[in-house]
Amino acid sequence: MNPHVEIESTRSLAGALGERFWGWEIPLYLFLGGVVAGLMVAVSALLLWRGKDRATAAMRTGLWLAPVLLGTGMGALFLDLSYKLHVYRFYLAARPSSPMSWGSWILLLVVPVQLALVLALPPARLARQLDRMPDAVRRIRALALRHFRGLAAAGLAGGVALGVYTGILLSATVARPLWSSGALGPLFLASGASTGVATLMLFEKDEMAHGTLARFDIAAIAVEVALLGTWLIGLLGQGPLYREAAGVVLWGSYAPLFLGFVVFGGLLVPVLLEALALKGKAAHSRVVPALVLAGGFLLRVVVVYAGQVIGFVRA
Amino acid sequence: MMVIDESRCVGCEACVLACKTENRVPEGFYRDWVVQELRGEYPTLSLSIRSERCNHCEDAPCVSNCPTGASYYRGDGTVQIDRDKCTGCRACIAACPYDARFVHPDGYVDKCTLCVHRLDAGRPTACEEVCPTGAIAVGDASDPTSEVARRLKHESAYVLSPEAGTKPNLHYVRGGSAR
Repeated sequence: MNPHVEIESTRSLAGALGERFWGWEIPLYLFLGGVVAGLMVAVSALLLWRGKDRATAAMRTGLWLAPVLLGTGMGALFLDLSYKLHVYRFYLAARPSSPMSWGSWILLLVVPVQLALVLALPPARLARQLDRMPDAVRRIRALALRHFRGLAAAGLAGGVALGVYTGILLSATVARPLWSSGALGPLFLASGASTGVATLMLFEKDEMAHGTLARFDIAAIAVEVALLGTWLIGLLGQGPLYREAAGVVLWGSYAPLFLGFVVFGGLLVPVLLEALALKGKAAHSRVVPALVLAGGFLLRVVVVYAGQVIGFVRA
Repeated sequence: MMVIDESRCVGCEACVLACKTENRVPEGFYRDWVVQELRGEYPTLSLSIRSERCNHCEDAPCVSNCPTGASYYRGDGTVQIDRDKCTGCRACIAACPYDARFVHPDGYVDKCTLCVHRLDAGRPTACEEVCPTGAIAVGDASDPTSEVARRLKHESAYVLSPEAGTKPNLHYVRGGSAR
């Protein structure tokens, strides 16, 4: 049996310990980064597979949403910095050991690819205004159309890179037992794929395309559930500190949010509704993607917040 | 390298005050702090008191996770922060198993520097100098005649949270004589 331990310190007595170091900005950024990664992978893969001439309105919407959502996420990331004037420092260093450093460079490389894809396949409103745009924009569009398959492949690679980076950002830190798992990266990647597809489902009007997206989403959610199990079961078997960290989401203060809204409301209910819709027993509706998106966001909130509850230091 | 002899520490917190004064640490923040750990059930109780701070790890996750190179190893093996490069992203705070870092009200991340400005001038760190019982020793562990090398030979020498795998340069000697 473990001995009884009481521990206090200068910091715990002064109330200077246990404050959250990352607030809402980080889960919002990780969620939007995941959605954009999923969108880029799904749309780029569909474009490579079906060709640009068969791009649906939802795919075009997905293409312009990607830079908008990523820009919003980057805005949240900027708000999180406590020394905002030094933001340019991210681009004066390339540090292979730091996922955040890769991330800043990946963002820099991904945004131009996204913008070129939007120019190549603009939404209807933008397409009408292309003639009035400066020559340089039209030249870029011509170049993007000429090398479209290469551009779509770059979009696919950029989406994967973005997804992998947002996934491993937390697990690369060794100090938080809840984040100390190799399953966390693939989990965020699978969740990103699922939320990206859910975003497309919000705009897809074609019934057949909707079915394809629903099938893909069911597969992504199945992988996500398996990875959630791998992550938490792994922590439970890793030792008392890791068990305590897993307990925060399984039976502790974040359990209602995690089990109720992430697992049940964000994964199990949508997968059931999607399966019923595929069998023709329910209509495809926007409720399913909305639940998937809400669950994906809350997953990041739970992981980022709950991970800060248990550390190695107690006082 | 720093070695703290718990058997000498009386928890007076002089090291905390000396550090705050020397380094102008803002109110509500600490670069070092004193921990009191009570173990067991009455009447078989044991109390250990120790001064904690940045462990200046040899394999420091704060350095590897820093995206701008603001956290770095100085030539003498200490871990330092270049304020001009710090963005306040707090990746280093997330990565530190010892919770030794904090965001300074001016925006950059701050922590114990092992008083390198004093060491460079041939003076002891503020905490070592002020400690009334000589619990804190800073020196070169590769010099077998140094106090830190002598303390490290003690069988009860240990590091905090070894499971984090960061190879700390701050060692402790448990209660019981290290003299």
